[in-house]
Amino acid sequence: MPRDPVKFWNPYLAGAALGLVLLAAFVVMGNGLGASGASLRLGVAALGAVSPGAVASAPALERASAGGHPLDFWLVFEVLGVVLGGLAGAYTSGRLGLEVLRGPTFPRWARLGMALGGGLLMGAAARATRGCTSGQALSGGALLSAGSWAFMLSVFAGGYALAYFVRRVWR
Amino acid sequence: MSSLPFWSLSGELRELGLVVAIAIGFGFGFVLERAGFGRAQKLVGQFFGHDLTVFKVMFSAIVVAMLGAVVLGAAGILDYRALADHATSETFLWPMVAGGFVLGMGFIVSGYCPGTSYVAMASGKLDGLATVLGTIVGQLVYAGLEHQAWLARFHSSGRLGHLYLWELLHLPPRAGPAMVAVAVTATAIGCFVGAERLERALAARAPAPASPAGRPGFAVLAGMGGLALAGLAVALVPAGGSASTRAAIPISADDLARRSVEEPWRLRILDLRAVEACAARRVPGAACVPPEKLASLGLADASGALDLVLVADRSLAEVPAAAAAYPGRVLALEGGYGAFARTSVAAALAGVATAPPPSPIPAAAPAGPRKGGGGCGG
Repeated sequence: MPRDPVKFWNPYLAGAALGLVLLAAFVVMGNGLGASGASLRLGVAALGAVSPGAVASAPALERASAGGHPLDFWLVFEVLGVVLGGLAGAYTSGRLGLEVLRGPTFPRWARLGMALGGGLLMGAAARATRGCTSGQALSGGALLSAGSWAFMLSVFAGGYALAYFVRRVWR
Repeated sequence: MSSLPFWSLSGELRELGLVVAIAIGFGFGFVLERAGFGRAQKLVGQFFGHDLTVFKVMFSAIVVAMLGAVVLGAAGILDYRALADHATSETFLWPMVAGGFVLGMGFIVSGYCPGTSYVAMASGKLDGLATVLGTIVGQLVYAGLEHQAWLARFHSSGRLGHLYLWELLHLPPRAGPAMVAVAVTATAIGCFVGAERLERALAARAPAPASPAGRPGFAVLAGMGGLALAGLAVALVPAGGSASTRAAIPISADDLARRSVEEPWRLRILDLRAVEACAARRVPGAACVPPEKLASLGLADASGALDLVLVADRSLAEVPAAAAAYPGRVLALEGGYGAFARTSVAAALAGVATAPPPSPIPAAAPAGPRKGGGGCGG
Protein backbone atom coordinates (compact mmCIF):
# COMPACT_ATOMS: atom_id res chain seq x y z
CA MET A 1 0.00 0.00 0.00
CA PRO A 2 1.58 3.33 -1.01
CA ARG A 3 1.99 5.87 1.77
CA ASP A 4 -0.39 8.77 1.41
CA PRO A 5 -0.49 11.22 4.34
CA VAL A 6 -3.85 12.72 3.36
CA LYS A 7 -5.64 9.42 2.84
CA PHE A 8 -7.73 8.12 5.75
CA TRP A 9 -9.86 5.05 6.14
CA ASN A 10 -13.50 5.29 5.25
CA PRO A 11 -15.10 6.57 8.49
CA TYR A 12 -17.69 3.80 8.71
CA LEU A 13 -15.12 1.07 8.08
CA ALA A 14 -12.78 2.68 10.63
CA GLY A 15 -15.69 2.87 13.08
CA ALA A 16 -16.59 -0.78 12.52
CA ALA A 17 -12.92 -1.77 13.05
CA LEU A 18 -12.83 0.30 16.23
CA GLY A 19 -16.05 -1.35 17.36
CA LEU A 20 -14.52 -4.79 16.83
CA VAL A 21 -11.45 -3.82 18.87
CA LEU A 22 -13.76 -2.60 21.64
CA LEU A 23 -15.82 -5.78 21.42
CA ALA A 24 -12.63 -7.84 21.71
CA ALA A 25 -11.75 -5.93 24.89
CA PHE A 26 -15.24 -6.63 26.25
CA VAL A 27 -15.31 -10.31 25.34
CA VAL A 28 -11.76 -11.27 26.25
CA MET A 29 -10.94 -9.00 29.19
CA GLY A 30 -14.30 -7.84 30.48
CA ASN A 31 -13.01 -4.27 30.24
CA GLY A 32 -13.62 -1.34 27.93
CA LEU A 33 -11.00 0.87 26.33
CA GLY A 34 -9.65 3.89 28.17
CA ALA A 35 -6.98 6.53 28.37
CA SER A 36 -7.32 9.06 31.18
CA GLY A 37 -7.01 6.48 33.96
CA ALA A 38 -3.58 5.56 32.67
CA SER A 39 -2.61 9.25 32.70
CA LEU A 40 -3.29 9.36 36.44
CA ARG A 41 -1.15 6.27 37.03
CA LEU A 42 1.74 7.73 35.05
CA GLY A 43 1.35 11.08 36.82
CA VAL A 44 1.31 9.51 40.27
CA ALA A 45 4.40 7.48 39.44
CA ALA A 46 6.21 10.65 38.29
CA LEU A 47 5.01 12.71 41.26
CA GLY A 48 5.96 9.95 43.68
CA ALA A 49 9.51 9.99 42.33
CA VAL A 50 9.83 13.77 42.75
CA SER A 51 7.83 14.34 45.93
CA PRO A 52 6.51 11.30 47.82
CA GLY A 53 4.96 13.60 50.43
CA ALA A 54 2.58 15.12 47.89
CA VAL A 55 1.26 11.67 46.99
CA ALA A 56 0.80 10.70 50.63
CA SER A 57 -1.16 13.89 51.37
CA ALA A 58 -4.08 13.10 49.04
CA PRO A 59 -6.09 9.88 49.53
CA ALA A 60 -6.96 9.51 45.83
CA LEU A 61 -3.32 9.80 44.80
CA GLU A 62 -2.21 7.39 47.49
CA ARG A 63 -4.84 4.86 46.41
CA ALA A 64 -3.63 5.07 42.82
CA SER A 65 -0.03 4.57 43.86
CA ALA A 66 -0.71 1.77 46.35
CA GLY A 67 -2.10 -0.52 43.69
CA GLY A 68 -5.64 0.74 43.92
CA HIS A 69 -7.99 -0.42 41.28
CA PRO A 70 -6.77 -3.28 39.08
CA LEU A 71 -8.41 -1.65 36.06
CA ASP A 72 -5.77 1.05 36.16
CA PHE A 73 -3.07 -1.50 35.56
CA TRP A 74 -4.87 -2.83 32.53
CA LEU A 75 -5.21 0.75 31.28
CA VAL A 76 -1.51 1.52 31.57
CA PHE A 77 -0.63 -1.47 29.39
CA GLU A 78 -3.48 -0.74 27.01
CA VAL A 79 -2.25 2.84 26.56
CA LEU A 80 1.26 1.51 25.93
CA GLY A 81 -0.36 -0.48 23.12
CA VAL A 82 -2.16 2.66 21.87
CA VAL A 83 1.16 4.47 21.58
CA LEU A 84 2.74 1.54 19.70
CA GLY A 85 -0.32 1.21 17.45
CA GLY A 86 -0.37 4.94 16.77
CA LEU A 87 3.32 4.85 15.91
CA ALA A 88 2.84 1.93 13.53
CA GLY A 89 -0.18 3.61 11.93
CA ALA A 90 1.63 6.93 11.47
CA TYR A 91 4.76 5.28 10.09
CA THR A 92 2.92 3.17 7.53
CA SER A 93 0.72 6.08 6.41
CA GLY A 94 3.57 8.57 6.08
CA ARG A 95 2.16 10.81 8.81
CA LEU A 96 5.06 10.27 11.20
CA GLY A 97 7.10 13.43 11.75
CA LEU A 98 7.86 16.13 14.31
CA GLU A 99 5.49 19.07 13.88
CA VAL A 100 2.97 21.28 15.63
CA LEU A 101 -0.49 21.04 14.11
CA ARG A 102 -2.21 24.44 13.96
CA GLY A 103 -3.99 26.91 11.72
CA PRO A 104 -1.76 28.62 9.09
CA THR A 105 -1.54 31.95 10.94
CA PHE A 106 -1.56 30.82 14.58
CA PRO A 107 1.81 31.04 16.41
CA ARG A 108 3.47 27.78 17.36
CA TRP A 109 4.15 28.58 21.05
CA ALA A 110 0.55 29.73 21.55
CA ARG A 111 -0.71 26.49 20.03
CA LEU A 112 1.41 24.47 22.45
CA GLY A 113 0.05 26.55 25.34
CA MET A 114 -3.50 25.94 24.19
CA ALA A 115 -2.81 22.20 23.92
CA LEU A 116 -1.42 22.15 27.45
CA GLY A 117 -4.33 24.17 28.83
CA GLY A 118 -6.92 22.08 27.00
CA GLY A 119 -5.24 18.96 28.33
CA LEU A 120 -5.43 20.35 31.87
CA LEU A 121 -9.17 20.97 31.51
CA MET A 122 -9.73 17.48 30.09
CA GLY A 123 -7.60 15.80 32.74
CA ALA A 124 -9.51 17.38 35.60
CA ALA A 125 -12.88 16.84 33.89
CA ALA A 126 -12.16 13.19 33.08
CA ARG A 127 -11.53 12.55 36.76
CA ALA A 128 -14.93 14.05 37.65
CA THR A 129 -16.65 12.00 34.93
CA ARG A 130 -14.92 8.71 35.83
CA GLY A 131 -13.50 8.39 32.34
CA CYS A 132 -12.90 10.25 29.10
CA THR A 133 -14.25 9.88 25.59
CA SER A 134 -12.68 6.40 25.34
CA GLY A 135 -13.65 4.93 28.67
CA GLN A 136 -16.92 6.72 29.28
CA ALA A 137 -18.43 7.66 25.90
CA LEU A 138 -17.19 4.77 23.76
CA SER A 139 -17.08 1.85 26.21
CA GLY A 140 -19.87 2.94 28.54
CA GLY A 141 -21.98 4.12 25.62
CA ALA A 142 -21.72 0.75 23.88
CA LEU A 143 -22.90 -0.95 27.08
CA LEU A 144 -25.82 1.51 27.32
CA SER A 145 -24.80 3.11 30.62
CA ALA A 146 -27.10 6.08 31.29
CA GLY A 147 -24.31 8.25 32.70
CA SER A 148 -22.13 7.60 29.65
CA TRP A 149 -24.80 8.88 27.29
CA ALA A 150 -25.40 11.98 29.40
CA PHE A 151 -21.64 12.55 29.38
CA MET A 152 -21.38 12.10 25.62
CA LEU A 153 -24.09 14.65 24.85
CA SER A 154 -22.40 17.05 27.26
CA VAL A 155 -19.03 16.68 25.52
CA PHE A 156 -20.51 17.61 22.16
CA ALA A 157 -22.38 20.52 23.79
CA GLY A 158 -19.16 21.83 25.39
CA GLY A 159 -17.23 21.54 22.12
CA TYR A 160 -19.83 23.34 20.05
CA ALA A 161 -20.30 26.03 22.73
CA LEU A 162 -16.64 27.05 22.62
CA ALA A 163 -15.76 26.30 18.97
CA TYR A 164 -16.59 29.77 17.67
CA PHE A 165 -14.26 31.47 20.16
CA VAL A 166 -11.20 29.40 19.31
CA ARG A 167 -11.64 29.25 15.53
CA ARG A 168 -8.47 31.29 14.95
CA VAL A 169 -6.36 28.44 16.35
CA TRP A 170 -7.41 26.26 13.46
CA ARG A 171 -7.99 28.60 10.50
CA MET B 1 -22.92 -21.50 29.10
CA SER B 2 -21.52 -18.04 29.67
CA SER B 3 -17.79 -18.63 29.69
CA LEU B 4 -16.78 -15.15 28.55
CA PRO B 5 -15.19 -12.79 29.47
CA PHE B 6 -12.09 -14.61 30.73
CA TRP B 7 -12.07 -13.19 34.26
CA SER B 8 -8.92 -15.17 34.93
CA LEU B 9 -7.01 -12.64 32.77
CA SER B 10 -7.42 -10.10 35.56
CA GLY B 11 -6.87 -12.76 38.23
CA GLU B 12 -4.50 -15.68 38.19
CA LEU B 13 -3.52 -15.21 34.52
CA ARG B 14 -2.71 -11.56 35.08
CA GLU B 15 0.55 -11.47 33.12
CA LEU B 16 -1.16 -12.90 30.06
CA GLY B 17 -3.91 -10.31 30.56
CA LEU B 18 -1.38 -7.49 30.37
CA VAL B 19 -0.02 -8.86 27.08
CA VAL B 20 -3.60 -8.96 25.76
CA ALA B 21 -4.00 -5.36 26.98
CA ILE B 22 -1.05 -4.25 24.84
CA ALA B 23 -2.43 -6.11 21.80
CA ILE B 24 -5.88 -4.56 22.18
CA GLY B 25 -4.36 -1.12 22.76
CA PHE B 26 -2.30 -1.58 19.60
CA GLY B 27 -5.46 -2.20 17.59
CA PHE B 28 -7.11 0.82 19.22
CA GLY B 29 -4.18 3.14 18.45
CA PHE B 30 -3.71 1.86 14.91
CA VAL B 31 -7.38 2.29 13.97
CA LEU B 32 -7.54 5.77 15.57
CA GLU B 33 -4.51 6.80 13.53
CA ARG B 34 -5.95 5.45 10.27
CA ALA B 35 -9.26 7.17 10.93
CA GLY B 36 -7.29 10.44 11.04
CA PHE B 37 -7.63 10.94 14.79
CA GLY B 38 -3.94 11.61 15.26
CA ARG B 39 -4.47 14.98 13.57
CA ALA B 40 -6.08 17.81 15.50
CA GLN B 41 -7.60 19.44 12.39
CA LYS B 42 -9.47 16.27 11.51
CA LEU B 43 -10.90 16.04 15.04
CA VAL B 44 -11.95 19.66 15.49
CA GLY B 45 -13.57 19.64 12.04
CA GLN B 46 -16.48 18.02 13.84
CA PHE B 47 -17.09 21.20 15.82
CA PHE B 48 -16.85 23.53 12.83
CA GLY B 49 -19.38 21.45 10.95
CA HIS B 50 -17.48 20.73 7.76
CA ASP B 51 -16.13 17.26 8.61
CA LEU B 52 -18.30 14.91 10.65
CA THR B 53 -15.74 12.08 10.74
CA VAL B 54 -15.60 12.02 14.55
CA PHE B 55 -19.32 11.50 14.79
CA LYS B 56 -19.37 8.81 12.09
CA VAL B 57 -16.44 6.82 13.50
CA MET B 58 -17.58 7.04 17.09
CA PHE B 59 -21.15 6.04 16.49
CA SER B 60 -20.25 3.21 14.11
CA ALA B 61 -17.89 1.88 16.78
CA ILE B 62 -20.52 2.15 19.51
CA VAL B 63 -23.14 0.44 17.34
CA VAL B 64 -20.87 -2.47 16.34
CA ALA B 65 -19.62 -3.12 19.90
CA MET B 66 -23.10 -2.66 21.37
CA LEU B 67 -24.77 -5.08 18.95
CA GLY B 68 -21.90 -7.57 19.25
CA ALA B 69 -22.15 -7.64 23.05
CA VAL B 70 -25.95 -7.93 23.01
CA VAL B 71 -25.97 -10.77 20.45
CA LEU B 72 -23.17 -12.71 22.19
CA GLY B 73 -24.96 -12.20 25.50
CA ALA B 74 -28.24 -13.51 24.13
CA ALA B 75 -26.46 -16.52 22.63
CA GLY B 76 -25.27 -17.36 26.14
CA ILE B 77 -21.60 -17.04 25.20
CA LEU B 78 -21.03 -13.82 27.13
CA ASP B 79 -22.23 -12.85 30.61
CA TYR B 80 -23.66 -9.50 29.48
CA ARG B 81 -24.76 -8.14 32.84
CA ALA B 82 -21.50 -9.00 34.57
CA LEU B 83 -19.58 -7.38 31.70
CA ALA B 84 -21.71 -4.24 31.82
CA ASP B 85 -21.29 -3.84 35.57
CA HIS B 86 -17.55 -4.46 35.37
CA ALA B 87 -16.67 -2.37 32.32
CA THR B 88 -18.84 0.69 32.98
CA SER B 89 -18.69 3.07 35.90
CA GLU B 90 -21.61 3.96 38.10
CA THR B 91 -23.63 6.99 37.05
CA PHE B 92 -22.84 10.19 38.94
CA LEU B 93 -25.14 12.51 37.05
CA TRP B 94 -23.93 16.03 37.93
CA PRO B 95 -20.17 15.44 37.70
CA MET B 96 -20.74 13.61 34.42
CA VAL B 97 -22.84 16.34 32.85
CA ALA B 98 -20.71 19.26 34.09
CA GLY B 99 -17.43 17.38 33.58
CA GLY B 100 -18.52 16.33 30.09
CA PHE B 101 -19.13 19.97 29.18
CA VAL B 102 -15.68 21.00 30.45
CA LEU B 103 -14.08 18.02 28.68
CA GLY B 104 -15.74 19.14 25.44
CA MET B 105 -14.26 22.61 25.91
CA GLY B 106 -10.84 21.09 26.58
CA PHE B 107 -11.28 19.02 23.42
CA ILE B 108 -11.83 22.05 21.17
CA VAL B 109 -9.02 24.03 22.86
CA SER B 110 -6.40 21.27 22.71
CA GLY B 111 -7.63 19.64 19.50
CA TYR B 112 -7.61 16.16 21.02
CA CYS B 113 -9.33 13.98 23.54
CA PRO B 114 -7.13 12.13 26.06
CA GLY B 115 -7.00 8.93 23.96
CA THR B 116 -6.25 10.56 20.63
CA SER B 117 -3.60 12.79 22.19
CA TYR B 118 -1.55 9.64 22.83
CA VAL B 119 -1.88 8.73 19.14
CA ALA B 120 -0.85 12.26 18.09
CA MET B 121 2.13 12.10 20.44
CA ALA B 122 3.14 8.75 18.99
CA SER B 123 3.07 10.20 15.47
CA GLY B 124 5.40 13.03 16.46
CA LYS B 125 2.94 15.87 17.00
CA LEU B 126 4.30 18.14 19.72
CA ASP B 127 0.84 19.58 20.40
CA GLY B 128 -0.24 15.99 21.13
CA LEU B 129 2.60 15.65 23.61
CA ALA B 130 1.57 18.93 25.28
CA THR B 131 -2.01 17.64 25.58
CA VAL B 132 -0.81 14.38 27.14
CA LEU B 133 1.21 16.32 29.71
CA GLY B 134 -1.71 18.66 30.40
CA THR B 135 -4.06 15.72 30.92
CA ILE B 136 -1.68 14.11 33.40
CA VAL B 137 -1.36 17.33 35.41
CA GLY B 138 -5.13 17.90 35.29
CA GLN B 139 -5.77 14.40 36.62
CA LEU B 140 -3.23 14.90 39.41
CA VAL B 141 -4.68 18.28 40.43
CA TYR B 142 -8.26 17.01 40.59
CA ALA B 143 -7.34 13.74 42.32
CA GLY B 144 -5.20 15.73 44.75
CA LEU B 145 -8.15 17.90 45.73
CA GLU B 146 -10.83 15.22 45.58
CA HIS B 147 -10.98 14.67 49.35
CA GLN B 148 -11.58 18.38 50.12
CA ALA B 149 -15.14 18.88 51.29
CA TRP B 150 -16.15 21.37 48.57
CA LEU B 151 -15.01 19.10 45.75
CA ALA B 152 -16.03 15.82 47.40
CA ARG B 153 -19.64 16.99 47.54
CA PHE B 154 -19.70 17.73 43.82
CA HIS B 155 -17.71 14.59 42.97
CA SER B 156 -20.26 12.23 44.52
CA SER B 157 -23.43 14.17 43.67
CA GLY B 158 -26.23 12.61 41.62
CA ARG B 159 -25.13 9.06 42.39
CA LEU B 160 -27.48 6.62 40.69
CA GLY B 161 -25.41 3.43 40.88
CA HIS B 162 -25.06 1.24 37.80
CA LEU B 163 -27.88 2.60 35.70
CA TYR B 164 -28.61 1.57 32.11
CA LEU B 165 -30.82 3.07 29.44
CA TRP B 166 -33.15 0.08 29.43
CA GLU B 167 -33.68 0.48 33.18
CA LEU B 168 -34.46 4.15 32.64
CA LEU B 169 -37.15 3.07 30.17
CA HIS B 170 -38.45 0.36 32.55
CA LEU B 171 -37.71 -2.46 30.08
CA PRO B 172 -37.19 -6.03 31.30
CA PRO B 173 -33.55 -6.90 32.19
CA ARG B 174 -33.22 -9.74 29.64
CA ALA B 175 -34.76 -8.25 26.51
CA GLY B 176 -34.16 -4.59 27.44
CA PRO B 177 -30.57 -4.23 26.19
CA ALA B 178 -31.49 -5.71 22.80
CA MET B 179 -34.51 -3.45 22.46
CA VAL B 180 -32.50 -0.31 23.24
CA ALA B 181 -29.65 -1.50 21.00
CA VAL B 182 -32.01 -1.81 18.04
CA ALA B 183 -33.39 1.69 18.69
CA VAL B 184 -29.87 3.16 18.98
CA THR B 185 -28.83 1.45 15.72
CA ALA B 186 -31.84 2.79 13.86
CA THR B 187 -31.15 6.30 15.19
CA ALA B 188 -27.47 6.05 14.24
CA ILE B 189 -28.23 4.94 10.67
CA GLY B 190 -30.71 7.80 10.34
CA CYS B 191 -28.07 10.25 11.62
CA PHE B 192 -25.44 8.85 9.22
CA VAL B 193 -27.73 9.48 6.26
CA GLY B 194 -28.34 13.01 7.57
CA ALA B 195 -24.60 13.59 8.09
CA GLU B 196 -23.82 12.57 4.48
CA ARG B 197 -26.45 14.99 3.17
CA LEU B 198 -25.17 17.81 5.38
CA GLU B 199 -21.56 17.30 4.29
CA ARG B 200 -22.58 17.18 0.62
CA ALA B 201 -24.58 20.39 1.01
CA LEU B 202 -21.65 22.16 2.73
CA ALA B 203 -19.11 20.82 0.21
CA ALA B 204 -21.19 22.34 -2.59
CA ARG B 205 -20.62 25.76 -0.99
CA ALA B 206 -16.96 25.38 0.01
CA PRO B 207 -14.56 22.94 -1.66
CA ALA B 208 -13.45 21.09 1.49
CA PRO B 209 -14.08 17.42 0.78
CA ALA B 210 -14.63 15.39 3.93
CA SER B 211 -14.68 11.61 3.94
CA PRO B 212 -17.67 10.46 1.94
CA ALA B 213 -19.32 7.18 2.78
CA GLY B 214 -18.54 5.54 -0.56
CA ARG B 215 -19.45 1.99 -1.37
CA PRO B 216 -17.64 0.17 1.50
CA GLY B 217 -19.28 2.58 3.93
CA PHE B 218 -22.73 1.56 2.80
CA ALA B 219 -21.73 -2.10 3.12
CA VAL B 220 -20.93 -1.40 6.77
CA LEU B 221 -24.26 0.35 7.23
CA ALA B 222 -26.03 -2.63 5.69
CA GLY B 223 -24.08 -4.93 8.04
CA MET B 224 -25.20 -2.88 11.03
CA GLY B 225 -28.76 -3.14 9.80
CA GLY B 226 -28.40 -6.93 9.59
CA LEU B 227 -26.93 -7.14 13.09
CA ALA B 228 -29.73 -4.93 14.37
CA LEU B 229 -32.25 -7.36 12.89
CA ALA B 230 -30.49 -10.16 14.79
CA GLY B 231 -30.76 -8.00 17.90
CA LEU B 232 -34.45 -7.50 17.22
CA ALA B 233 -34.91 -11.25 16.99
CA VAL B 234 -33.14 -11.55 20.34
CA ALA B 235 -35.47 -8.98 21.86
CA LEU B 236 -38.52 -10.84 20.58
CA VAL B 237 -37.45 -14.36 21.56
CA PRO B 238 -38.85 -15.02 25.04
CA ALA B 239 -36.31 -14.79 27.83
CA GLY B 240 -34.85 -17.74 29.64
CA GLY B 241 -32.63 -20.60 28.67
CA SER B 242 -29.45 -18.59 28.60
CA ALA B 243 -29.19 -18.11 32.36
CA SER B 244 -29.15 -21.76 33.42
CA THR B 245 -25.40 -21.92 34.08
CA ARG B 246 -23.04 -19.08 34.63
CA ALA B 247 -19.55 -18.59 35.95
CA ALA B 248 -19.17 -16.37 38.98
CA ILE B 249 -16.84 -13.37 38.98
CA PRO B 250 -14.08 -14.14 41.47
CA ILE B 251 -13.58 -11.71 44.35
CA SER B 252 -10.44 -11.96 46.44
CA ALA B 253 -10.65 -12.33 50.22
CA ASP B 254 -8.93 -8.95 50.67
CA ASP B 255 -11.40 -7.22 48.37
CA LEU B 256 -14.34 -8.79 50.16
CA ALA B 257 -12.92 -7.84 53.55
CA ARG B 258 -12.47 -4.25 52.41
CA ARG B 259 -15.91 -3.98 50.81
CA SER B 260 -17.69 -5.64 53.74
CA VAL B 261 -16.35 -2.85 55.93
CA GLU B 262 -16.43 0.12 53.55
CA GLU B 263 -19.68 -0.46 51.68
CA PRO B 264 -21.69 -3.28 53.26
CA TRP B 265 -24.87 -1.73 51.86
CA ARG B 266 -23.79 -2.62 48.32
CA LEU B 267 -23.33 -6.32 49.05
CA ARG B 268 -25.63 -9.21 49.74
CA ILE B 269 -23.45 -11.94 51.18
CA LEU B 270 -24.70 -15.52 51.33
CA ASP B 271 -22.71 -18.14 53.22
CA LEU B 272 -23.37 -21.55 51.66
CA ARG B 273 -21.40 -23.60 54.20
CA ALA B 274 -22.97 -25.87 56.78
CA VAL B 275 -25.10 -23.84 59.18
CA GLU B 276 -22.95 -24.76 62.24
CA ALA B 277 -19.73 -23.56 60.58
CA CYS B 278 -21.42 -20.39 59.39
CA ALA B 279 -22.97 -19.71 62.79
CA ALA B 280 -19.56 -19.91 64.42
CA ARG B 281 -17.68 -17.58 62.09
CA ARG B 282 -18.65 -15.79 58.91
CA VAL B 283 -18.05 -12.71 56.80
CA PRO B 284 -19.64 -9.66 58.49
CA GLY B 285 -23.17 -9.19 57.22
CA ALA B 286 -23.41 -12.68 55.72
CA ALA B 287 -26.61 -14.69 55.91
CA CYS B 288 -26.27 -18.44 56.52
CA VAL B 289 -28.01 -20.10 53.61
CA PRO B 290 -27.27 -23.78 52.91
CA PRO B 291 -27.44 -24.48 49.13
CA GLU B 292 -30.74 -26.37 49.39
CA LYS B 293 -32.41 -23.26 50.83
CA LEU B 294 -31.17 -20.96 48.05
CA ALA B 295 -34.25 -21.46 45.91
CA SER B 296 -36.49 -20.16 48.72
CA LEU B 297 -34.83 -16.72 48.55
CA GLY B 298 -36.42 -15.89 45.20
CA LEU B 299 -33.15 -14.42 43.88
CA ALA B 300 -34.47 -14.38 40.31
CA ASP B 301 -36.99 -11.71 41.28
CA ALA B 302 -34.59 -9.55 43.32
CA SER B 303 -33.70 -6.15 41.89
CA GLY B 304 -30.06 -6.99 41.20
CA ALA B 305 -28.91 -3.65 42.59
CA LEU B 306 -26.61 -5.28 45.15
CA ASP B 307 -23.65 -7.49 44.35
CA LEU B 308 -24.46 -11.04 45.39
CA VAL B 309 -21.43 -12.61 47.07
CA LEU B 310 -21.32 -16.38 47.53
CA VAL B 311 -19.09 -17.82 50.26
CA ALA B 312 -18.37 -21.57 50.34
CA ASP B 313 -15.73 -23.88 51.79
CA ARG B 314 -13.56 -23.42 48.71
CA SER B 315 -13.67 -21.48 45.43
CA LEU B 316 -16.96 -22.11 43.68
CA ALA B 317 -16.51 -23.66 40.25
CA GLU B 318 -20.06 -23.00 39.18
CA VAL B 319 -22.86 -20.86 40.53
CA PRO B 320 -25.87 -22.85 41.84
CA ALA B 321 -28.82 -22.46 39.49
CA ALA B 322 -30.92 -20.57 42.04
CA ALA B 323 -28.20 -17.92 42.40
CA ALA B 324 -27.40 -17.85 38.67
CA ALA B 325 -30.87 -16.44 38.05
CA TYR B 326 -29.98 -13.34 40.10
CA PRO B 327 -30.20 -10.35 37.72
CA GLY B 328 -27.20 -8.48 39.21
CA ARG B 329 -23.53 -9.38 39.55
CA VAL B 330 -22.73 -12.69 41.20
CA LEU B 331 -19.33 -12.83 42.88
CA ALA B 332 -17.69 -15.88 44.44
CA LEU B 333 -15.11 -15.67 47.20
CA GLU B 334 -11.78 -16.97 45.91
CA GLY B 335 -10.37 -19.69 48.13
CA GLY B 336 -13.58 -19.97 50.12
CA TYR B 337 -14.05 -18.91 53.76
CA GLY B 338 -10.59 -20.17 54.66
CA ALA B 339 -9.04 -17.38 52.60
CA PHE B 340 -11.22 -14.78 54.31
CA ALA B 341 -10.28 -16.13 57.74
CA ARG B 342 -6.68 -15.09 57.03
CA THR B 343 -7.56 -11.41 56.40
CA SER B 344 -7.09 -8.63 58.92
CA VAL B 345 -10.84 -8.05 59.13
CA ALA B 346 -11.42 -11.65 60.21
CA ALA B 347 -8.59 -11.34 62.72
CA ALA B 348 -10.21 -8.24 64.19
CA LEU B 349 -13.53 -10.04 64.43
CA ALA B 350 -11.96 -13.05 66.14
CA GLY B 351 -11.10 -10.67 68.97
CA VAL B 352 -14.80 -10.30 69.67
CA ALA B 353 -15.45 -12.98 72.29
CA THR B 354 -18.83 -14.13 71.05
CA ALA B 355 -20.01 -13.73 67.53
CA PRO B 356 -23.37 -12.01 67.24
CA PRO B 357 -26.23 -14.40 66.49
CA PRO B 358 -26.48 -15.34 62.83
CA SER B 359 -28.85 -13.27 60.80
CA PRO B 360 -31.96 -15.24 59.89
CA ILE B 361 -32.48 -16.34 56.34
CA PRO B 362 -34.16 -13.35 54.77
CA ALA B 363 -37.51 -13.95 53.16
CA ALA B 364 -37.95 -13.40 49.46
CA ALA B 365 -38.88 -9.77 49.77
CA PRO B 366 -40.12 -8.56 46.43
CA ALA B 367 -37.81 -5.76 45.37
CA GLY B 368 -39.55 -2.53 44.54
CA PRO B 369 -38.91 -0.98 41.13
CA ARG B 370 -35.63 0.89 40.98
CA LYS B 371 -36.62 4.50 40.74
CA GLY B 372 -33.33 5.82 39.45
CA GLY B 373 -32.42 7.87 42.45
CA GLY B 374 -30.96 8.34 45.85
CA GLY B 375 -30.37 5.81 48.49
CA CYS B 376 -27.18 4.03 49.19
CA GLY B 377 -25.80 2.45 46.07
CA GLY B 378 -28.92 3.10 44.02
